[in-house]
Amino acid sequence: MVPSKPKNLFSETISYLKRRGIRYGDLRFVHALKEELVVQNGQPQHISQSASEGVFIRVLDHGAWGHASSCHFNRRGLKQTADRAIEMARAVALTTAPMAHLRPMKPARGRYETPLEIDPFRVPLQRKLDYLLWTCQVLKDNPQIASAIAKLEFHKTEKLFCSTEGAWIEQLITESGGMIEATAVLGNEMQKRSFPTANSCSLAQAGYEYVKALDFVGEAKRVRQEAVTLLRAKECPSGKTTVILMPDQLILQVHESCGHPTELDRALGMELSFAGGSFLTPDTLGHYRYGNRLVNITADATLPKGCGTFGYDDEGVPAQRVPIIQNGRFVNYLSSRETAAQIGSHSTGAMRADGWNAVPIVRMTNVSLDPGTGTLDDLIGDTKKGILLATNKSWSIDDKRLNFQFGTEIGWEIRNGKLGQALKNPVYTGITPEFWNSCSGITGKEEWRLYGVPNCAKGEPIQVMHVGHGASPARFEKVQVG
Amino acid sequence: MLIGKIRLISELKQAARYSKADQTLIACQHSQQTIFRFSSGKIHQNFAEQDITVWVKTSWHGRVGVATCSSLTKEALRRAVDSALAIAKLSGKSPAASFQTNPLKKPLPVLQTHFAQTAQQQPKERLTLLKNLWLTAEKTGLELAGSSTAGESELAVVGSGGLAVYQPFTAGGLRLVATSGKSSGFAAQSYRDSETLDADELLKRASDHCRRNRNQKKIPLGKYTVLIEPEAVAELVEWLSFIGFGAKQFYEKSSFMAGRIGDKIMGDNITIRDDAADPACLSMPFDFEGVPRKNVGLIEKGRAQRLVYDSHYGKLYHQPSTGHALPYDEAEGPIATHLLVDPGKTPRAEMLKKMDRGLWITRFHYVSGLLDTREALMTGLTRDGTFIVEKGKVVGAAKTLRFTQPVLKAFSQVIALSKERRLVADPAQGFSSVVAPAMLIRDFTFTGQTK
Repeated sequence: MVPSKPKNLFSETISYLKRRGIRYGDLRFVHALKEELVVQNGQPQHISQSASEGVFIRVLDHGAWGHASSCHFNRRGLKQTADRAIEMARAVALTTAPMAHLRPMKPARGRYETPLEIDPFRVPLQRKLDYLLWTCQVLKDNPQIASAIAKLEFHKTEKLFCSTEGAWIEQLITESGGMIEATAVLGNEMQKRSFPTANSCSLAQAGYEYVKALDFVGEAKRVRQEAVTLLRAKECPSGKTTVILMPDQLILQVHESCGHPTELDRALGMELSFAGGSFLTPDTLGHYRYGNRLVNITADATLPKGCGTFGYDDEGVPAQRVPIIQNGRFVNYLSSRETAAQIGSHSTGAMRADGWNAVPIVRMTNVSLDPGTGTLDDLIGDTKKGILLATNKSWSIDDKRLNFQFGTEIGWEIRNGKLGQALKNPVYTGITPEFWNSCSGITGKEEWRLYGVPNCAKGEPIQVMHVGHGASPARFEKVQVG
Repeated sequence: MLIGKIRLISELKQAARYSKADQTLIACQHSQQTIFRFSSGKIHQNFAEQDITVWVKTSWHGRVGVATCSSLTKEALRRAVDSALAIAKLSGKSPAASFQTNPLKKPLPVLQTHFAQTAQQQPKERLTLLKNLWLTAEKTGLELAGSSTAGESELAVVGSGGLAVYQPFTAGGLRLVATSGKSSGFAAQSYRDSETLDADELLKRASDHCRRNRNQKKIPLGKYTVLIEPEAVAELVEWLSFIGFGAKQFYEKSSFMAGRIGDKIMGDNITIRDDAADPACLSMPFDFEGVPRKNVGLIEKGRAQRLVYDSHYGKLYHQPSTGHALPYDEAEGPIATHLLVDPGKTPRAEMLKKMDRGLWITRFHYVSGLLDTREALMTGLTRDGTFIVEKGKVVGAAKTLRFTQPVLKAFSQVIALSKERRLVADPAQGFSSVVAPAMLIRDFTFTGQTK
């Protein structure tokens, strides 16, 4: 865990903040390791190891926040960082009326560590590389595959959080994951298939055992074949139809149309100049009909293997499991101590920063669609005409999180309860509450899958957060496709 | 305070000398900036950030390893150099192992990228400016949200063969969103020199858009002639760069340029180049490999012309690096980050008058260029101002619209480009920008509308 020497300095800094007479202060030390391996067309394309460490100090003084960061965490550096945070708070306090309010909470003291079987940083680099080279060989085994990529990514993040309220929390979070991607080309036609997700690695808060379970070599043949099949596939037809979304698409639907609009800072207008606002304004809380009764969405920071799992958030609030949408109704926000106080509520423990040099802001944890009943076969068997869509390719939604459009890598026709031919370039679009109110079936927990999304961007300067999402296949009616 | 050229290069040179690799490149970026974010007349977030990142790339017997650290201590630098070499020894042979570490043959162009007045701006004076803007907006019944950013940074690259380049930078910006009920308007400016900031003009523009944006109407979907402001043009051009102008996307055949070099893919009036030495952009003289940034004509009079390369992809295509390498821990390949779209001859003020019936769009939101990268098929939404134009005059506001449009086709249907251009950039990032004119485009396709 965190080395002992800086710990004394951190305690001294907290004492110094108290002596300066501020109302509240906290310090967060982060040491982050990242390892990334990329193999393309049988050659190592990129192998890197990154290390980064520093401190972030946050103070509340005269009703205003001040934040400062530094990678110098010797005695002098910490004092200078604390002084800069206080200076920022005092400058802001002179400009605006007091606004920040923290509800009292019992300071937490504790430790959290990712449960894992195999520490990915102890697995020899050569073994990881060989695994990717083998995967790539299978993935590339067709002349129409122009590019075959296999990637692995590992993170180990040590955090120490302490506050003037008396909190002292140490956490060690390990994440592992990867992805494979085959690009097939025929003349001017180009199609991609990926696994388990597209565009970025799917991560889990777990050890190397997660990578082994992904079975890239086993999946590579299917991924390659589907990419080649898509070159000659029929274009996805346009019109309103029934769609079944597979979990590797549905998680992005949850992320964009439920996760972001339920962030309380957005709903309070704090992201208006960048990420945008939310249609779920505070007056809708508790009664707004977000979806029909089948729809239950939960933010769960305690979920095993979730990329949004932790012991405590980045202001020391213990991890929670919170219903966001209950039987279709909007019942809770993702929130922080300060934003929750603004609506007379308690923090749901979602204050997170993407590193030591970032301000904690309200972020998703693991926001997931709860499972329903039955199987995918039941859902397909019960569908007379429709389309099954898998693997997110493109995503776009308006600044209030209402009008969305998603593209997927592949679709399949459904005719009279059976899957038919593959369809290329599928796109579907809709309006968030109308879409979730059209849900006509969610399959059971046996088919529920959890994914780690490592590229959720928000804030100024932009922070890229790792969040988790789970879903089982679900069906929606009268969806505009194409 | 910046570390300064002499000390920073000396620290990095010591680490390069320590390296046992065949070749070693070390880049370091040190930055400090402050940001204030606000809404409803209150600062809700502020941050005094100080950061150092050091990237080390080594080659050993034709293999490459990369490591990074966030400290300039001798121990941290040596650990990063050792890690990079250990990785290289385990890696397979790679074209990425060929990079320059020798001194540059020609001196770098002299670019003024650091302005003392930007670096020395005090939080108090920036906060006073913001407060005055809020009060002015309030007097006209508007609220303001936004952010103010300012800071300085320095980038140095040294090579084991004697390469040593250094450049200091400043960057800042002001973003304003004026709101009134459900209507909003946006304006932003990024700069290296804070004396060029025209906050009054930004407030005027954001307020004007907000006031015009009331009573938004539902309009029929379909094709419209559109006047898109430089901020919206920049969003499309950035996506073109991300999916098409780099040699990696070309190599993977996902680029709209692949197989089409020399072909006409846009209209005669479209010329796009990447030139980091152009003072109109957030200029920088060299990339993260220390290679001078070249002026690359990407699209010339509508023809697909050239790509950008780093040393890795340059080797693959037997081309010299064009100076577009990203930090070594990025696996995205070379990216064009200093984009300039040639202006037209039409004064911006005349462009609305050229529209018989159409839409004036101030800004796009959440554009995705991943739908079909070979055709640059993109989707996205309008934001903070979609105005209905009839007979050259704004007659009302429309609800937020979704477009789904092949951008190669849109850029083949450009009726006019404005004479004036604006710099569009994220001041917090400070190294990349788009300089674009406004565009008048016919038959731009809208496929959805927010209720």
